[in-house]
Amino acid sequence: MFDLDLRSRQPIYEQLVEKIKELIVNDVMKTDEKLPSVRTLAQEMTINPNTIQKAYRELEMQGYIYSLKGKGSFVDSLTKNISAEEIEKIRNELQKRLTEAFFIGISKEEIYTLVEHTYLDVGGDRKND
Amino acid sequence: MIKLTDVSKKYEKEMVLKKVSLEIKKGSIFGLLGSNGAGKTTLLKTMAGIYKQESGDLTIDKQTVFENPTLKQNVLFIPDLPFFFSQYTVKQMAEFYADMYKDWNQERFDNLQKVLDLEVNKKVARFSKGMQRQVAFWLTLCTMPEVLILDEPFDGLDAVIRQKIINLIIQDVADRNMTVIISSHNLREIEDICDHIGILHKGSLILEKDIDDLKSDVHKVQIAFKDVPTSLFESLDIVHQEKRGSVHLLIIRGNKEEIDQLIKQTNPIVYDLLPLTLEEIFVYEMGGVGYAIENILV
Repeated sequence: MFDLDLRSRQPIYEQLVEKIKELIVNDVMKTDEKLPSVRTLAQEMTINPNTIQKAYRELEMQGYIYSLKGKGSFVDSLTKNISAEEIEKIRNELQKRLTEAFFIGISKEEIYTLVEHTYLDVGGDRKND
Repeated sequence: MIKLTDVSKKYEKEMVLKKVSLEIKKGSIFGLLGSNGAGKTTLLKTMAGIYKQESGDLTIDKQTVFENPTLKQNVLFIPDLPFFFSQYTVKQMAEFYADMYKDWNQERFDNLQKVLDLEVNKKVARFSKGMQRQVAFWLTLCTMPEVLILDEPFDGLDAVIRQKIINLIIQDVADRNMTVIISSHNLREIEDICDHIGILHKGSLILEKDIDDLKSDVHKVQIAFKDVPTSLFESLDIVHQEKRGSVHLLIIRGNKEEIDQLIKQTNPIVYDLLPLTLEEIFVYEMGGVGYAIENILV
């Protein structure tokens, strides 16, 4: 279900966090959809259940999923409670990439167009749905 | 939970374990690493209740293991050389296990026969080394252990079987909260399945940590400058430093974000920050206690 790179230097739980986030952000996993249980995922992917638990905990802390006792973990509605820390992190990353973009000579206008396109791709202003 | 407090063990006058203290939580997969002759097997055998420690305390779920048959019903040990009675077939071995262990699961035994595809009426001694190891796993997993102690468990198993066995172990960890302790020299293997690791050197435990914490605590940095800022090197906790051409290779301890910030201030031309592999961590930690890799010229 998730494709992990066991040869990568990046810790497995971080890879899992990123993969799941990607699925949520791209709307592959919808709000309130149930995530596979730790048991199933451990079995399917041959990954230590403790590692999966850790990834789920991290996702919950960052506000991507919520868990119900005895029922499992579910995708949270995104706009509500992404932590300020996470937003700050993405902002910094964007800034870093933009600096690089300007450096290699991508024009301001091109970046504006890109922003417009991406914005339309994710369906406009989702906050006001 | 497995708890060791100041466990020491000697063989005649030689101290093999020196005051080892360790806690392993239930449901955890613990990897035990160490240099050759560090005392890994001794430690595992002491945990399994085969050896008695000279001093210190060792308990599993608050009970002493040594000479405690009730507890040993659920504490299983697979040695680096699996043992079978000579002349016994797999089936006869299984009958013996069924007699000895009250939680023996015959249904599972029959199911695993299909998975492993080994003949039950063949003498174990006639199997190859790798197949004998499979038989050891087969019998052991059918006793439904609470604690599984494995000494170099994947030696001699091919990639497919190894994956199957690891998958079986992980299912038991997920379903029944089984605790697993694995010693291995194959660090790649341990890296993928363990959540905690301990490094043993000359009988002392020099490190015991959550594997992800361990990885987020040390970083490998490749960096090059126009003018080398000497002040940077002073402000970092550098474990190891190398220079290849104009590129510096550093192993730095500390918080990733802080290191990142410090380095960026100096405007490097080339800059890469990577997490370490378990193998690299092992090598540098061992280097720290004087067990370094030296380039030997003969």
